[in-house]
Amino acid sequence: MKRHLNWLFLLLCMPLLAAPDGKELYEEKCSACHHFHGQGGIGLPLSKEILSQVSDDYIAKTIRHGRPGRIMPSFQKLSLAQVAAIVAYVRSWTGKPGPVFETIRIQGDAKKGDALYQEHCVRCHGKDGSGEGVGTGVTLSRKRSFMVMPAALNNIGFQKSASDAMIRDIILAGRKTSNMPAFRGKLSNQETAHIIAYLRILQPPAPRKGAEEWVGKPAYVMESPYDLETTVENVKQALAGANFRIFPLRYLEQGLTDEFSVNTRQVGIRFCNFKELYHLLNIDPRLGTALPCRINVLEQNGKVLVISANVAQLATLFNNQELSEVGVLMEEIILGVMEEATL
Amino acid sequence: MRMIVGICLVLLLTFPVQADQTLVMARSSAKAAHVMDVLRETIPEYGYSVAHVQRCDGGMAEFDYKTDFYRVVFFGRVEEVRSILARHPEMSPYLPLKIVVIAENNETLLAAMDPRALGSMFPGDAQLQLQFSRWYNDIQSMLDEMRQLKK
Repeated sequence: MKRHLNWLFLLLCMPLLAAPDGKELYEEKCSACHHFHGQGGIGLPLSKEILSQVSDDYIAKTIRHGRPGRIMPSFQKLSLAQVAAIVAYVRSWTGKPGPVFETIRIQGDAKKGDALYQEHCVRCHGKDGSGEGVGTGVTLSRKRSFMVMPAALNNIGFQKSASDAMIRDIILAGRKTSNMPAFRGKLSNQETAHIIAYLRILQPPAPRKGAEEWVGKPAYVMESPYDLETTVENVKQALAGANFRIFPLRYLEQGLTDEFSVNTRQVGIRFCNFKELYHLLNIDPRLGTALPCRINVLEQNGKVLVISANVAQLATLFNNQELSEVGVLMEEIILGVMEEATL
Repeated sequence: MRMIVGICLVLLLTFPVQADQTLVMARSSAKAAHVMDVLRETIPEYGYSVAHVQRCDGGMAEFDYKTDFYRVVFFGRVEEVRSILARHPEMSPYLPLKIVVIAENNETLLAAMDPRALGSMFPGDAQLQLQFSRWYNDIQSMLDEMRQLKK
């Protein structure tokens, strides 16, 4: 009986133990940004040229570590087998195995590398190695200053994923997709080694953080000394003073129940600055998941509360450093409006 | 018995906990207007009401944004909204739930916040954590359906 139970259990577990399907995983986890066949979108195009320059190990580590602050998330919870399946699927597009690089560190002089970096690399990769230009990959939805943004060489995800030998080969061969020139014949092996040594000491900039008292909290909450109607008017006036356009008020439950059952003591004040909005959508088209800007006024247990999403915290969800910076600025504006309305 | 324990151990090591994301996203090869229509029909099938749809694409072209279709779909269950806001008014900015629908040429991108990303901000409320997981499962399933839509 016990033996039969064992076999039955094993049979039930077969789907879980089966080899992961790379195509299915890619479509689920990667295609939204990289497109169905690596054409690129919010994420980097996984073109044949790019894939021919990077090892399977680099792709696997990139999936695992992501690029902090550069949109690509880290998939820490994917199993080794799942990551390998995604890599194999992506690699299958090229029809041949990827390059394999030595993992040993290339010895060079970072000080000499600094001078060479300033001469040959800084124009595209930036002073601190963050990569110049707006955003990360290419997207079909907005104009870009480069087809593919120069890599953020100071990014901890890049540093952990790229071997010295792989970086050396890319420096020498260049990359047509991103207009990176080939330095073969222009830089000696030793000079290339110096540049790599310099890249290894680059550090990402320290991110700006929101106000200490709101860190880790989902929302800014302030109690109003006024009644609900007065508070709503105060918020509207403060928003207009901060150059926001205000949309018609909506009750939070509006549309979720019939008009007679809606709680009219929970009001959402939606507002927007269109110029800023479109600028932000250019930085990250996924921003809509946090839209529209809204301050809620709720009457609850005899109190009137003014509440807004913690935008500094919310902005970090996009793993986009540029957007995170804007989140901190928006926090100051929204807290200013809320304070003015509840004075 | 040892075999069962062994299998359980293997499963624990190989079956990942899928919570390393803050956004739930999907790409559909269908056009945005079609995805939008299907999504509006799909949301009630999961027991939610569509509260409203907000257009965000009014003047996008003037700002170099090439898509002409950007919608935010708000949806929820009134009893959940009431129950949660009674305990946590600070959840009000995140309710109703929403899914963004963006055209990218002839294809469509969908994105939503993973509600579980809010979990760490409500460490003491196990019921809410469960609610976040349920919402996540529903949003993921809806987006999977949109991903599988044909052109």
